Amino acid sequence: MAIEQSAPAARSRWFRLKSAGRPRLLIMLCIAWLILVLMVAIGADYLAPFAYTEQSLLNRLKPPAFLGGNPKYLLGTDGLGRDVLSRLIYATRMSVLIAIVGSMIGATVGTLLGFLAAHFRGIVEDIIMVFVDFQASMPFFIIALAVLAFFGNNFELFLVVVGLYGWEVYARLTRSLVLQANGQGYAFAIRTLGVHPIRIYARHILPNIMSVLIVQVTLNFPELILIETSLSFLGLGIQPPQTSLGLMLGEGRNYLATAWWTGIPAGLVIFLTTLSISLVGDWLRDKLDPTLKIAEA
Amino acid sequence: MMRLQFILTKLLRGLLTLLLAVTFVFIVLRVSGDPVSMMLPDDTPPAIVAEYRAAWGLDKTVPEQYVRFIWSALHGDLGYSFRDDRPALTVVLERVPMTLLLGVCGFIITVVIGLFAGIAAALKRGTSVDHAAMAFSIFGHSMPNFFLAILMILLFSMTWRLLPSSGGATWWHLILPAVTLGIINAGTVARFTRSSMLEVLHQPYMRTARAKGLRLTRRVMSHAIPNAAIPVVTVLGLRLGGLIAGAVVVETVFAWPGIGLMLVNAVGQRDLPVVQTIVLLVALTMVITNFIVDLTYGWLDPRIENRPNKEG
Repeated sequence: MAIEQSAPAARSRWFRLKSAGRPRLLIMLCIAWLILVLMVAIGADYLAPFAYTEQSLLNRLKPPAFLGGNPKYLLGTDGLGRDVLSRLIYATRMSVLIAIVGSMIGATVGTLLGFLAAHFRGIVEDIIMVFVDFQASMPFFIIALAVLAFFGNNFELFLVVVGLYGWEVYARLTRSLVLQANGQGYAFAIRTLGVHPIRIYARHILPNIMSVLIVQVTLNFPELILIETSLSFLGLGIQPPQTSLGLMLGEGRNYLATAWWTGIPAGLVIFLTTLSISLVGDWLRDKLDPTLKIAEA
Repeated sequence: MMRLQFILTKLLRGLLTLLLAVTFVFIVLRVSGDPVSMMLPDDTPPAIVAEYRAAWGLDKTVPEQYVRFIWSALHGDLGYSFRDDRPALTVVLERVPMTLLLGVCGFIITVVIGLFAGIAAALKRGTSVDHAAMAFSIFGHSMPNFFLAILMILLFSMTWRLLPSSGGATWWHLILPAVTLGIINAGTVARFTRSSMLEVLHQPYMRTARAKGLRLTRRVMSHAIPNAAIPVVTVLGLRLGGLIAGAVVVETVFAWPGIGLMLVNAVGQRDLPVVQTIVLLVALTMVITNFIVDLTYGWLDPRIENRPNKEG
């Protein structure tokens, strides 16, 4: 009988855990966590008690301080006697850096292609859309693996490959938004004034479609973190001596039975971060633009 | 007539995607270096290298090479695996049953948990059932599959010692990877099922069904679910890519002897014939699935086929 009674005018979004007080606290916690992660990423050099590569073979696999370990190593040490907390801090920096730079790469490339498709129409549009369809129908993860296999792994290539994740969504989104905008009065008016197309797109249309693109960035960002950490976890992404959250968890996998603390904290950071971004992103979307239906879909 | 055209359009699109996948492999292979030195181990004698050069027609022009490449790909000739000197296709196909087994089990778990949680959440909207289901959905959505896999091993294999954590020797080995794979994707399915069901539950025909005095189960099973199915089928189809990516990770963590584990190893060892075979196989799988999903749409909702295709 609950079906018919549950039809209030304003339908709540799936993420909103209803009752008024709790979600706000949850969102606050998520924001606090994200700020913490960002500050750790920025201030890694000052926060880390040890250099992340510093080995101390006498202190291998020491348990965290709260499990009776040496208080000098708050989260214990790994198989090479490196301080887990310091490595966690630097790994966080690496993963956050890749996610931020990667987001910019994908958003820029995709948006640009979307503009090109919408401006030139015809054959240019067809070619771009064929590639968009191709990317959309192939799992990105597999493509990334193939590229890394064929070209070998280095940091710059890895960054670009990971960054391209989701470009097709930006391209498709931008194209349809620009087509829509081009048909609207303001674009027509400026065009009649003889303004150069690039100026129209950059100064007038882009600001108008920006909010939708930003929403897409918040949707893309956690997935980017997952792609990077997955590849690094498999040993096919960030290579030692550099470290990332995925690589740390991957290395910790070998010590699961004896020293779980070498990997689990990194996994926890990934989980909490993607969770926080998803929740805060949904909340922001709801606040910024209630007309947006994306969250519901 | 409409139906034939619909099917033909979809078929052409699928073939185009396949062609692009082959082209992608071809271009990447050519750009990344001399195919022969890439495809053969470093210590191959020069005579054999020359032989391969002639055999692959590398003295020909690029367009000719391209046609030859497609031709041999069509014949399943994708080079020899570096590790054992057998055709890459044979080596890869041997692993297909294991991956299918894991994939199908994971998929069933996804569908069962996802549909159940989503429908329960929609019917009991606003209650703790709904909240729990949606919390689970967010959890599944944010949880990295490899971290869940590690936690499963830590709990079920190491702490409680209930299930084996690596290999594919017995049925027991199937449980952890299948459940991990299932849970990861179930969250998304639950979310979509819920919103799709909510949409449907408020439709007039649902009220009519209730007015007719039909039971709740009947109303949900034969009136709500068929109508709510389309977005869910879409998501399941779209999730296949995610499922494949997830399977790669999950197979690796649990050392499940399937294609995913093989791909990761092949990438690590730069066993390129195997990598390109798997990439093309994945492309083929995706195209076939998309095709089936498209046909399912038409079957679920005949209106779709007759709708003119507005967006490109």
